[in-house]
Amino acid sequence: MENSIPNPGAKPVDTKQIKEMLNRKKGKMKRYLSHCAHCSLCAESCFLYMEHHKDPQYMPSYKAINSLGKLYRKRGKADRKLLTEMKGIVWRNCVLCGRCYCPIGIHIPSMIAFARSILRSQDVYPQLDEVYSESWL
Amino acid sequence: MVDFIRGQLISIALIIFVLGLIFQLIQFFKLTKKKDWLYPPLEIKPEKKSTGQWVSVCFSSLNGTLWKTDPLVTIATSVFHVFLVGVPIFLLGHNLLLDQSWALRLWSLPESMTDVFTLVVLICLAFFLARRLFLARVRAITTLYDYVVLLIVAAPFLTGYFAYHQWFHYETVMTIHILAGEVMLITIPFTKLGHMLFFFLYRFFIGNEYSFAKGARAW
Repeated sequence: MENSIPNPGAKPVDTKQIKEMLNRKKGKMKRYLSHCAHCSLCAESCFLYMEHHKDPQYMPSYKAINSLGKLYRKRGKADRKLLTEMKGIVWRNCVLCGRCYCPIGIHIPSMIAFARSILRSQDVYPQLDEVYSESWL
Repeated sequence: MVDFIRGQLISIALIIFVLGLIFQLIQFFKLTKKKDWLYPPLEIKPEKKSTGQWVSVCFSSLNGTLWKTDPLVTIATSVFHVFLVGVPIFLLGHNLLLDQSWALRLWSLPESMTDVFTLVVLICLAFFLARRLFLARVRAITTLYDYVVLLIVAAPFLTGYFAYHQWFHYETVMTIHILAGEVMLITIPFTKLGHMLFFFLYRFFIGNEYSFAKGARAW
């Protein structure tokens, strides 16, 4: 049973695979990242941001910039520590409800969803029996 | 060097600006394709509304939008963007030069008006700078790059304002003003200022919930 649960420390990060995945959607994602005006007007459209006393970490743009944006900036050269940090951003801090609104028209959910796919390819995803660092209640 | 800035570089900047935008436009249409509709778009015939009903619908639809959540920024950004594009195009000084060099006669606004509008642009930029410096949520996603872009946008307006009022050494201020305008034109297609073009592409062409139009294309 234990073997079926991916161990985050066991498998080395396949940076080549990450790079390949990033390149596949480069045209769209790099444009989205590059055209973000960093205006923070997307903040209030996120219910998690509102529910967490307007903590900037829950802002849609913050989540996209600090997950997918970081992966593009590092050209896929990520270590497991970085991917684990991103895990919290793309799974715990975002539920992909798709309600985030960007005045420029950047589709933030697709960026978070793509970051999730990349992380999942490296066996970085939440476990059902995982203890969250933060209570939802 | 000064002659180059005041001469050839203007044409170079304009060519890079136009070709850069055309390149981005072509890339966009290459990267997106006509959407295969998952469900055919609904053909809803709009009900006939009276003028009063239209006004009421318009105002009620603002509820929950940025006009409601962040009215100050929404007003500032709307005014800023209109004047940012409008002031340089309808500025008498620019249009006189265009007439002299290319025999291109454009309609101009009175100088007293463009002077006030330039000041409005600068006030809006100061407001955006203050947000970057003091608002935690904006600071959280701000990098040095954001300040550089803000400077690129502010420089032509600030130096233009100085030049019009003949503050400091006029010739030097004018050269910096021309250079600042050229830098801005060159950077638009390749930086986040590209949202000047991509705003329309994303909001009108890409189909999603917040599209202004039908949004018949997909990545």
